[in-house]
Amino acid sequence: MRQRGLKILRVAGAAAVFAGLTAALVDFRGAVPPVVGQGLASIQFVPSAVALATGAGVALACLVILVVTLAAGRIYCSAICPLGIFQDIVARLAGWVRGKKALLPYRPARTWIRQLFLWGGVAGMVAGGAGLTLSLLDPYSIYGRIASGLFRPVVTLANNALVDLIRALGGESLYRVIPPWAGVAALAVPAVMLALVAGLAAWRGRIYCNTVCPVGTLLGLVSARSAWQLSLDPGACRKCGDCLRDCKAQCIDLRSGTIDSSRCVACYNCLDACREAGIGYRWTWRKRSAKPASPPVPGANHAASAADPQRRAFIATAVLSLTTIAGADRLLAVTAAGNDPSARPGAKDEKSPTGSRRPNYSRAICPPGAGSVDRFLDTCTACHLCVSACPTHVLQPAFLEYGFLGLLKPRLDYTDAFCNFDCRRCAEVCPDGALGLLPLAQKQVTRIGVAEFDVERCIVKTKGTDCAACSEHCPTKAVDTIPYGDNLRLPQVNQELCIGCGACEFACPSKPDKAITVAGQRRHDQAKRGKEEKARDPRRGNAFPF
Amino acid sequence: MNTRREFLKTGLAFGAAVSLAPWSRLAAATTATTPVAPAPAAPARSVLVAVRDGSRSAMADQAFAALGGVGAWVKPGQTVCLKPNIGWDAPPERGANTHPELVGHLVRLCLGAGAKSVSVFDNTCDQWQLTYEHSGIEKAARDAGAHVVNGKDQSLYREVEIPGGVKLKRALVHSLVLDSDVLLNVPVLKHHSGTGMTAAMKNLMGVVWDRKFYHQTDLHQIIADFLTLRKPTLNILDAYHPMVRHGPRGKSADDLVEMRTLLASADPVALDAAAAKLLGLEPAKVAYIKIADAMKLGTMDLSQVEIRRFSLA
Repeated sequence: MRQRGLKILRVAGAAAVFAGLTAALVDFRGAVPPVVGQGLASIQFVPSAVALATGAGVALACLVILVVTLAAGRIYCSAICPLGIFQDIVARLAGWVRGKKALLPYRPARTWIRQLFLWGGVAGMVAGGAGLTLSLLDPYSIYGRIASGLFRPVVTLANNALVDLIRALGGESLYRVIPPWAGVAALAVPAVMLALVAGLAAWRGRIYCNTVCPVGTLLGLVSARSAWQLSLDPGACRKCGDCLRDCKAQCIDLRSGTIDSSRCVACYNCLDACREAGIGYRWTWRKRSAKPASPPVPGANHAASAADPQRRAFIATAVLSLTTIAGADRLLAVTAAGNDPSARPGAKDEKSPTGSRRPNYSRAICPPGAGSVDRFLDTCTACHLCVSACPTHVLQPAFLEYGFLGLLKPRLDYTDAFCNFDCRRCAEVCPDGALGLLPLAQKQVTRIGVAEFDVERCIVKTKGTDCAACSEHCPTKAVDTIPYGDNLRLPQVNQELCIGCGACEFACPSKPDKAITVAGQRRHDQAKRGKEEKARDPRRGNAFPF
Repeated sequence: MNTRREFLKTGLAFGAAVSLAPWSRLAAATTATTPVAPAPAAPARSVLVAVRDGSRSAMADQAFAALGGVGAWVKPGQTVCLKPNIGWDAPPERGANTHPELVGHLVRLCLGAGAKSVSVFDNTCDQWQLTYEHSGIEKAARDAGAHVVNGKDQSLYREVEIPGGVKLKRALVHSLVLDSDVLLNVPVLKHHSGTGMTAAMKNLMGVVWDRKFYHQTDLHQIIADFLTLRKPTLNILDAYHPMVRHGPRGKSADDLVEMRTLLASADPVALDAAAAKLLGLEPAKVAYIKIADAMKLGTMDLSQVEIRRFSLA
């Protein structure tokens, strides 16, 4: 039963997915088309499940993954999940550094830790922290934040170091880019996760996937029952242990002659390692209904062979259904209540920066297409694909600006940038529907915040000189100027036209406090779009009025 | 002060202006597309060329013809920095930036005159890669053979003293502006909600790193101050379809009025004064024009400027 082509297929698939996603996440100059990142992110399990549960899209990828897992095991974990593939790369590098392959012998499953994370995740979602729970546990989003937050600035620095070299050689293809470091607090979480995942991978291969990752555990419950399972052929296996050297999941038990399919990530390394062709996919479903073909190996004591398959199947199904229902229920509730701030406990009017008490105020501003902060926080998994794709870098991971439940979710930070009027890149790449792709004309009237002007801080008043940097940058002319004093122009805000893009706040040179700031809106609504006549020629008939 | 030489110069220039100005207008009316013979010697008065009713390229050709040819401004082997207005992420038809056709054509003219290199850049207001791309200028300039340079790379800026400045005493200025032999200032004419209008002088805000300092300090004074550091070799204003309201960004193409005009002058103050009139503004009401005139950086009194008018219709 030689099945050697499988490993090549797995490696090729994993390489393509990993390269594409990583390129999109470390892209510092807008070189990767949005469709690459969006496409590869939307086939990830959690984003697709969120999109399906919220009705944001016909996201069938999660169902396909479940079906494939039920058919042939955790192919997702080996070939699609970027965090899994990243661990393989780390383990391979660690092996090179050590100079020899680590022999990872069989270990029994740490079932209670797996269950703890899975049920903890379910509990977290049901308890109302769906968005935070998903973002902290989804392996794709964990990798997204590591690549976007930590790898991207490093790649940018490397680019900058090469600029002079390439120029000296006569090339002009590279240019310097300011390294896009996020705030220290917002970088701490991905940094800790990088250390944890990489450390575990270097130590014990896929131990993270088989103890911590709830997606791994969930798919493990399915793969334990999959139709085709990798199994040892008792007739061919000489128990030489070659397969153990290449197994990263520690799931091959030579003593009992079994493979723990719940932990096997379908990497197919063992298929290539076995010289006797003693391992291969075998159809298991018919066997289970009939009597086992071969009696259990005497002395085998691990759970899979001892447990009653019917009972475990029932438990697995129950877990799956509960998870799905709990998740979907919560998310659907959020979607339905997206426009009702009272749907979330603790939602109340707060004071805006200028002190005016605004209904519908949010300290942090979420991108157009989110609908409302509440919906956004519950559906965004903080993968930071949009943070990487945002051409102006106005999208930054939040720390506590949204509150604890909004940890790491992207927010618009107008300190050094503003939202480009003609751009929808964040929604173009969003894989799970947290950001809906609005038609451009609608995006351009979608109000995510409202500008508030404090004339007492304005340079035109405090210094008596012209400025109007705010009005200059305003794309809707919600900020215009009116005659003021001795031939000066004073900014004036028409909040009906304002969409909260932050161009005015970014541009305002007033120190220490800006004279114009954007107060975020919890629920997004629509600004007016004034219709105007064609402008008239100011020359009054004289083509050359000089 | 009042030397005999100066008296003679003024007198000669005045006489030349009186005799030339009407003649050139006549020439424009009769032989519209024929380039006028190169102007003899550099006149003491500012010269302003105003061309209308042609394509941008044709109007630029006419302007150069009236200014002694491209070779009078760009010598073989010289490096040229061409500074268009590439401020906003808007397509050419929105008129927020200098039109790419004009930029491309000027690059070709410079290279045709033997320029060693032509570099194009701006310190944009909107995100720079998007702005370079959507303005059409990056492609037009590159296709014409120019180097398109990043205006958002601080390492390309150098701090310089500006001894002549009243409020702008030092600034980080793009090295292309400091080091190029020829500085071609190629603005677009627009209304501006902060300064009233933007044309030649205000376009030079895009060559310094810290634009916020301008706004913080005294916008009009500093715009004028910069001219004491470096005056452009030549200013060529794209007034084909100026933005007459909602400037400098504009909301839509409805903010534009088609004038099919191009102005050119080595005197940025005179050029801005004429540009103000195109927008229906009194030059002295635009504070930076008035300040620059008072600082003798050029003249806003158009009656003192030799204006050569052409119609290509």
